[in-house]
Parts: sequence; structure tokens; C-alpha cells
Amino acid sequence: MNLELIRASIPEIIDGLGFTLLMWLPGSALALALGLLVAILRHYGGPALDRGLQALLGVLRGTPFLVQIFLLYYGGPFIGWDFDAPTAGLLGLSVYGAAYFAEIIRGGLAAVPRGHVEAAACVGMTRAQTLRRVLLPEMALLILPSTINMLIVLMKETAVLSIITVPELTAVITGIGSLHFAYAEAAFMLAVCYWGLTEATGLLGRGLERRLQRFRLA
Amino acid sequence: MTWAVLSLLLAGAGVTAAISVVSVIGGLLLGIAICGASLARSRALRGCAAVYVSFFRGVPLLVQLLLLYHALPRLGLDLPGIAAAVLGLTLCTAAYQAETLRGGFVNVPAGLIEAGRIVGMTARQIMLRVRAPIALRLTLPAVVNEAILILKASSLVSVVGVADLTRTAQNIASSNYRPIETFAAAGALYLLLNIVVGGAGAGLGRMVGRGR
Amino acid sequence: MAGFGRRGFVALAGSAALGGPAALSAGAARAAEDVLARVKAAGVLRVGTETQFAPFDFLDNGKAAGLNYDLFAELGRDMGLRIEFVALPWESVLPGLDSGKFDMVSGPATITKARMERYRFTPPIAEATCALLKKAGDTTLNRPEDMAGKAIGSGKATSQLEQLKKFSATLSPPATVREYVDFSQAYADLAAGRIVGVANSLPNIAYVAAQRPETFALMATPFGEKSYFGYIGRKDAEYAGLMDAVDGAVLKMRSDGRLTALQQKWFKTTFETPERVASPAV
Repeated sequence: MNLELIRASIPEIIDGLGFTLLMWLPGSALALALGLLVAILRHYGGPALDRGLQALLGVLRGTPFLVQIFLLYYGGPFIGWDFDAPTAGLLGLSVYGAAYFAEIIRGGLAAVPRGHVEAAACVGMTRAQTLRRVLLPEMALLILPSTINMLIVLMKETAVLSIITVPELTAVITGIGSLHFAYAEAAFMLAVCYWGLTEATGLLGRGLERRLQRFRLA
Repeated sequence: MTWAVLSLLLAGAGVTAAISVVSVIGGLLLGIAICGASLARSRALRGCAAVYVSFFRGVPLLVQLLLLYHALPRLGLDLPGIAAAVLGLTLCTAAYQAETLRGGFVNVPAGLIEAGRIVGMTARQIMLRVRAPIALRLTLPAVVNEAILILKASSLVSVVGVADLTRTAQNIASSNYRPIETFAAAGALYLLLNIVVGGAGAGLGRMVGRGR
Repeated sequence: MAGFGRRGFVALAGSAALGGPAALSAGAARAAEDVLARVKAAGVLRVGTETQFAPFDFLDNGKAAGLNYDLFAELGRDMGLRIEFVALPWESVLPGLDSGKFDMVSGPATITKARMERYRFTPPIAEATCALLKKAGDTTLNRPEDMAGKAIGSGKATSQLEQLKKFSATLSPPATVREYVDFSQAYADLAAGRIVGVANSLPNIAYVAAQRPETFALMATPFGEKSYFGYIGRKDAEYAGLMDAVDGAVLKMRSDGRLTALQQKWFKTTFETPERVASPAV
């Protein structure tokens, strides 16, 4: 193991990490927002809209992100969608993630006890109030573990973005490995970086879960 | 898209389906063992399970596959590509499935376990007749989800030389220079496979739901 | 999944995964025996390949085809060996060579100084000098100098990318160089119109242009330093006998005209290649 090479690569790796975070964090936030929107539309939008959205989500979840991002970036210009690489990456990750978050949120909404919704109606809350004050907060507690899991999945999916020339962590590290024929060092750096990110995310999730525990209703 | 190209992609889809099915089933069995360890009384066992889950969920599958294929020969174990692929996917999915199963076990209502004890079941009987069946039923949707994720993640096995759907599509695209059509066709085949998995999962759900 | 460059040795993991340079000789037991003797005893030469490098090595309707297959078939006949191909994506090929999954690589890769420090090359089998792929009907790119100020792509960490960068620096204004993990993506972006040219070795892009004449065209005037393709083997002492024998077989094909005939068959043109590249210009 060439430790000198690893040490010398740190600035480059930090640049790559920056791109990974730049894709992952805003992409996940957008995905969560878009997923919430879709889940609410499915919840209130009637059976036709529900079925249409369900089919769309099925396609997005049923095909690899690699295929989606490839078609979006390289196929897009043929139908007038000419995004630059980071934009296409962010957009693609948001839409892909939204398909999963929509399903997680739908499950969360369905798991909120009916009694709570009825109680809200009894005390005179409107539908919007019930959504904002009862359904969404309770759902947020319920879906926290699967949301953290999904964040980790999306973090690893950002590695695919090297294929559309986004210089993210995987692209940078494999590039260093190839340039110096340092395959073992590259594997080591990849393992450490992604393992670290995963553990940090998991830790954050568990901390959040503990803090929110006191809000949990019996 | 000619028939020749389509039949190549279909053959690749067959490989993808085969390695995914074997890995998901193997991963479920291994996952049950790891879940057992993580619920065990022994601290050492729980620690081992935690490290296993952390490693195989945290380190990218790509790196795991490369280690199995390129590093193991140095320890005297020269795995062929297909074996490295199935082993890598199995080890990885086992970590995820163990966590899902653990969630299922933890969520078995305490009242049911209590009831089992009252009617005089032994701890073993409670595990086999109450906790395990309920936990499996609770986690079935998550296992189906995991199967779909593995089906998609299996595209990484091309790195150890397995001619799966993704590698076949790349092979084709790099000689016909029509990547858009080729990848779109591959995407459609992945979707088809996942619809089958989803359908099988729903059928299985109805089957185990009957005992409710 | 991640895409990695291919002629660029963008490879990872494997080689020295469990220990530094010492691990280069895969396993103490294997290190002792002469590889040529082992290959002769088994009657099989195992060759790593990638199947995504037309016209050298690709799948034609599912069947392996290309100059590499024809050349190694001849080589096998001359050496009295059966050739067994192990197909891997390029990023796994060199780690596979290092970990002993096969005896040599039917690459080919551009012979460069940096690579020669780490691997041994066979005598050259074709030229690898840079030329340009452009869009069909593009009348603005006729000479290499026309790249000035335009967006040109190439493969990450390839020798062709280095040549493009060097040449571009002599232009005013220089070209905007875009790097792709894989040439396939560079071609896709050329088709999509984000770049106007792709710099790659002449044999490769001549084949691309011939396959999709409605989309691509060739700007065949080479630029940059002259360079060559060779096959890759290991430098370790126990491999010396094998690589010497392979070199002899390739040189025999070069002198009896079979190499030229294969070039004509797959490139529709022939190259004057030297017997050996001792100090590459790239």
C-alpha cells in the first residue's frame, strides 16, 4: 500500500467528495420534496391519477439509474433537453430518488392510525390542517429509518454519474488508481470514503431517531 | 433493433435473473443467520453481526466484487467470475436482509409472544411458530424491494467478467455505436424482470397473508 | 455501476490488493515456475480481453471478432497452443493480469513510457496516432488546426487525451478539451452535439465512421506524436520466456506479411510499424 500516494491524493479526493456531496445532498432534498408531492397527489388525487403515477413510479424504480441517467444526458439533446452534466445529474438523481421516497411516504401516510385522523376531524381541523398537523408529523416519525436507508442508497448511486462526466468521488479515485497503476490503493480509498459517509449518515439517523422518540405516540 | 441483438440482450437478462435469484435466496438464508447473531445474548456474536452489516452496507459493492475476484487468488482461492459475482451479491444483500429481518423481529407484538408463553410454548416453539412466521410476513415487502434493488445492482458484476444484461448492452453498444437504443432496450428488459419479481412478491404476500 | 476509461488503464483494485509491489508476482508457488513451461504443458494460453474495442476486439452479433482474435489464432497455430480468452471489462483486465487470472492481455494499448515502466509490450501491431472523428457533414473541421476554439472530447487518462491536450495548447485559441470515462460516451456526446470532435487513435475511429456513416465522419489527418499499439504482458522473470516467444511469433507475422493482411482486413489500410518501440515518443 503506497501511503505517500494516498496522502498526495487527498486534495483531489476532497474535490471529488465535494461533487459527490453537491449531487447527493441537494439531489436527495429535491427527491424528498418531489416524492412528498407525488405521495400527496396519490393520496388525494383520485384513482386515475393514482394509477398513472403508480405506473410512472414503477418504471423509474424498475430500471437501473445508470440507464436513466445515460438516456437523459446522451439522449436528451435529441428531444431538445440539453442539460450540462451536473444539472442532468441532479435532475436524474432527484427524479429517481423521488420514485422511492413517494412509495416510502405513501406507506408512512397509510400507517398513521385512522383514529388520529378522525380525532382531528372531530376537533374541527380542515383537511389541510389535518395533513400539516397530524398526518405529516406522524408520518415523518414513521418513515425516518427507511428515509435514512434511502439516503445511503442515493449516495452510492451518485457513483454512476461519472458516466456523464461529473467528476465525483468514484471517478476521481479510479482515475488516480489508473494513472499510477495503484489499484489496491484506489480500492482502499473508495472503501474508506464510502464506508465513512455511510456510517456518518447512519449515525445521524440514529441520533435523530432518539431525539424524535419523545414525540412518538403510543 | 434486430432479432439477433434482442436475443443477445435476452440471454444477458437470463444471466442477470439467474444470479440475482440465487443471490437473493442465498442472502436471505445468510441474513437469517446474521439476524440471529444480532439478536443473540452473546455480546461477541452481536458485535460480529454489527461489523458484518456495517462493512457490507458501507463498502461499495464494486469494491467488494473486485476484492473477491482479484485479491482472493493471492490467498490461494481463485474464484471464477460467476462464483465471485454470486458470492459478492449474496454477502452484500445478506447484510441488508439481516437488518430488515431484525426490524421484523423487533416489531413482533409483545402480546403475541406473551400469549405463546401462556399456552405453554417453549422458547424454541415461540421462535419457530410465533416470532419467525410473523417477522417473515412483516418483512416480505422489504425483501421483495431488496430483490429489485439487487436485480439492478447486479449490473456491477460485469466487472468480474459475467456477461449480464448491462455488460451485454455495453458490448453491443460498443460495436454498433447506437448506445441510446441499446440502453433503452436493456432498461425495458430490467423493467420486465422487475415486474415479474414484483408480481411474484405480491403472490407470495397473498399466500402468507392467508394464515393471518 | 461505474464506467471507467479503457485504453487509459483506468483500473482499480486487485493488483496489489493485499500488499504493495511485492504482491506483483502472484503467489509464491506460482512465482517459482516458468510460465512458458506451464503454458506449454497445459497446451493453453489464457489471454485477457475486453470485447469492447472495435475493430480489435468486439462482439459481432454475439460472436467474438476483430484483429485480436485473428492474430491470436495465428499465434496459437504458430506456437502450438490453444488460445483461451477471458473477457472482462477493461478496468478489470490489468488487475486480472496482475492477479494471474490469465497469462497476457490481448489489449492492445498504446505503448507509452509510463506503461513500459510497469508492463512489457509486444512488438507493435498497428499505429495508435491520434486522428479526429467529427459529425457527418461537418465542413468546418478539415485539418487538425481547425480544432482551435472548439469543444473536443477524448477518453480520460488515455495517451490520446495527452496528445490532444498538447496539440491543443499550440492552437490559438486552444480547443476546449472534454474528458469522458469511456470513448463510447464521447461518441454519444458527439452525436448529441455537445462536442464537435473526438480524438482517438486512427484505427478505432475509422471503424466508428465506417459503421455509422450517417452520423459520423473521419478527419483522417493525424496529429501529435506518432505512437503504436502493442499487447501487454508481465515484466516478472518467470514470464520472460513466454513474452519472448510471443514477440518472436508476432515478428514472424510481421515479416511474412500476415500482419499486413490482417490490418488490411480490419482497418482497410496498412501501417508501417517498427520491429520494437524502445523509447516511445508518448
